[in-house]
Amino acid sequence: MTRNSRVVLSVVYWAFIVYLFVPLVLMVTMGFKDSRFVGFPIREWTFDWYVALFQSTEILDAFAYTMIIALSTTALSLVIGTWVACFLGPRRFPGKFLVFALACLPAVIPGIISAISLRIYIQLLQIDAGISAIIFGHTVHNVPFVALVVMARLATLPKSQIEAAHDLGADDIITFARITLPYLKPALIGAGVFCMLLSFDDFTRSFFLGSYQPTLPVLIFAKLRAGMSPEINAVSTVVLVVTAVLGIWAERSMRMTKRPSS
Amino acid sequence: MGATLLAAPAILRGRAARASGVVNVWTYANFLPQEFKDEFQNDTGIQIQERLVDDQGKQFNLLAAEQPRPTVDILTVAGHRFLQFIDAGLLTPLDTGRLGNWANINPVFSESDWATIRGEKWGAPILSGAEVLAYNTEVVTPEEVTSWEAMFDPTYEGQTAYIIQDMMSVVMLYKGYDGNMIEYMGQPDRAAEVVREARDFLIANKSMVRKFYESGAEIQQMFINQDVTLAHAWNGPISKLIMDGLPIAMTIPKEGTYGFVYTFNIPANAPNADNAYTFLDAVLARPEIGAAMTRTSGFISTMKGAGDHLSELEQKASSFTEEELAGLQFFRSEANDMKYGLIDPAVEEIKAA
Amino acid sequence: MIPTQAEPADVTRAASGSSRRVFWGAMLENAAYTAVSGLLLGSRRRQIALLASLPLLWIAFANVGPIAQMVWISFLDSYPPRAGYVPQMTLANWARFFQEQIFLVPYFRTLGYAAVFTVATLIITYPVAYFLAKHVKRSNQLLFLLLLLIPFWVGEIVRTFAIMILLGNNGAINIALRSLGLIDRPIPFMYTTFSLGVGIIYLTALYMLLPLYSALEKIPNSYREAAADLGAGPWTRFWRVILPLSREGIASGCTLVFLISTGYYAAPVLLGGPGTTVFAETIAGFFHVAGDQWPTGAAFSTIMLISALVITGLFLKLMSRGGTGLMK
Repeated sequence: MTRNSRVVLSVVYWAFIVYLFVPLVLMVTMGFKDSRFVGFPIREWTFDWYVALFQSTEILDAFAYTMIIALSTTALSLVIGTWVACFLGPRRFPGKFLVFALACLPAVIPGIISAISLRIYIQLLQIDAGISAIIFGHTVHNVPFVALVVMARLATLPKSQIEAAHDLGADDIITFARITLPYLKPALIGAGVFCMLLSFDDFTRSFFLGSYQPTLPVLIFAKLRAGMSPEINAVSTVVLVVTAVLGIWAERSMRMTKRPSS
Repeated sequence: MGATLLAAPAILRGRAARASGVVNVWTYANFLPQEFKDEFQNDTGIQIQERLVDDQGKQFNLLAAEQPRPTVDILTVAGHRFLQFIDAGLLTPLDTGRLGNWANINPVFSESDWATIRGEKWGAPILSGAEVLAYNTEVVTPEEVTSWEAMFDPTYEGQTAYIIQDMMSVVMLYKGYDGNMIEYMGQPDRAAEVVREARDFLIANKSMVRKFYESGAEIQQMFINQDVTLAHAWNGPISKLIMDGLPIAMTIPKEGTYGFVYTFNIPANAPNADNAYTFLDAVLARPEIGAAMTRTSGFISTMKGAGDHLSELEQKASSFTEEELAGLQFFRSEANDMKYGLIDPAVEEIKAA
Repeated sequence: MIPTQAEPADVTRAASGSSRRVFWGAMLENAAYTAVSGLLLGSRRRQIALLASLPLLWIAFANVGPIAQMVWISFLDSYPPRAGYVPQMTLANWARFFQEQIFLVPYFRTLGYAAVFTVATLIITYPVAYFLAKHVKRSNQLLFLLLLLIPFWVGEIVRTFAIMILLGNNGAINIALRSLGLIDRPIPFMYTTFSLGVGIIYLTALYMLLPLYSALEKIPNSYREAAADLGAGPWTRFWRVILPLSREGIASGCTLVFLISTGYYAAPVLLGGPGTTVFAETIAGFFHVAGDQWPTGAAFSTIMLISALVITGLFLKLMSRGGTGLMK
């Protein structure tokens, strides 16, 4: 393409990045404000919010709890989502579109509706509110995202490889473990990051399905009632830094095994 | 981090709601001061399990979904919401005879008309709030805000905000009607007419309003960002702004206003009711506890003498003049079915208009 | 070694590590394993049953169950259950939507907003996705994508408050404009359709960007070059080559964004103004006020869900008519 269009495109790209990041810069800045509220003007600066953050077990507990939920949810969603994708991906059968639509349903139901319906549902199933209920709720929500991403990748898997493995005497399970799964790796990593993100940021489901231990978003929401304090920005900044570091680390380690992916 | 991860199994196991040494409390953030919790746990050996709620409706839904095996011993219900909880069979009457410190509550709150329903007390008053007119003192003078009319002054067009449901009651009061609507019980036509008039007034003045808001954090941010100059608000969030030194003030205009009281209540089938009574008695033990609750929440303590333990700025942020208080009346719940049956659709109409 | 055709790197990697090879080889000779796998995979029918078992159970249990229950509640006259009252079946909750016109305004507004925001998101993110897929070095693309993902690790609420501090009368933009002497009085950005759009597009951009990126990334550069060789200008190449080939990405991105933006609740509540109430707020209202309103909320939720699904269904049908096989 011409040089002009390249310049225009890169301007748009960086303008978009600015749009995404200016609110973040503001958020991080406000975490150092010496006041009980965020906003301008900033008269005094302080590190107190960060000091308080690491002294209070409340927030660290909530962070650990949210992490445990996010990791469990991700593991479960990857297994179930991949299974769904392998079932729906390659073959045609009557009613496939309906099954596909039903499989995607939880991704598009408004959070509050899904949260309340799940809350009543677990009551019916006699599951107590708490960590298992939250993991269940998040997994329900995440499976469609995994399935969609994995299906897209699965569609590009060359059939010849599967046939070759079969020719060499591997059965379906071994073929899956040695050919399909490695091929899906980029998709699984992408879907995994997505699951972590969705679970980590979820408020509505965690609130309705949770019990006494709050997840981080639930804790933040409760604190918000007493005002949007720089403390909340400090918490979010720490989460941002931790996850950005993890993300870069994941990218690095993927680069080691990198191949063109879709 | 390491320690937190090691503690993970304990988190996973969860804590049982039904246990001899535990009291389960659902309350708002910053209602229970940390010092009080530490002291209570040391003195009695009873652990406080606190669950933060942020909305009366959500609390109701959660409790309704949990019955008949609730996981909570103490709820925080706003006094005028009692009836809803009582009608749904979610609360149990309070045996005030078991509370040695009941007399420490200012009788204005404990003996008020809303506090007794069907001959029973249903909760212990802890903090009180009022619907106030808040304003930016750099733009608005106190003389301009002696009446609710200021909210509809063209000078401040597009610079006001309010919670529609609450504003409906205030507008009724402003127009000389009974915002509790008890006067109109048994006269559904009259009631509908009053609500219609209030609704039409707000629709006619819709260009005045910048934002219909819902939470205290929103109105605080609107004042800080200078998106509004004048607003109807609860005193708690505004009082926190004043304590932080922002140029904000609040008043109760001459037409008066409505107030409400947060109470601690024991739900039906509470797993540890005995511990709940121990907890309630401890909350009511000393005025210092009431003062600490005012400091953290911004609402007014219901305890006798709590004001003596507050600093000057804190007192200024959480008190009103005698003249202002004369116009304060409490929300009542007797007519709530009729009232909200009329107001809820009106709110939708105002939003949609 | 397994003979390889298309994906040498992959298969060699999969086969690398002799210990793994030994492990899988041993598995094939292990009697217990072969017995189990023989039982599971013995016939074609069993293979399909194994493959279908978990997905079908999961979909029925986790996806259909809660929704069926919600639909059931929408036909009750009272929920949550009250002591000593057996709820009766009724159609009143559904009828309410059609009888009371006030609900139609937020309903149509939601669908309208969702459509407008979807198109806006598409227009804004398409060049971004194109830049990423075609102008960034392949080895750096993942890093650039991660850069775009970072903001999403900050909770929605915190981010929304940051947008308020950005757009408020005393916010960053107004302060900057005033200090530059460009304005005397602050521009009221907040609590308008504009501030709502800024917030919503922030949330939906990712869902549009990823499908667009993966569709554009697949288009071989040779196509574009071939078109250029045939004398097509940049616009012609875009309209005749790139756009049609990325249609599938556009279709799935728009579907996701449309469906998701019909359900947003927190952002409209916090960023919208008196004239921007959306249907999700109306629905949430029924769940917040307690008592007999849940069934109405459930009925309205179902109506919204069905409307959104029907619209996206029609949209996808329209898109696939041109020949791409999304509905296959």
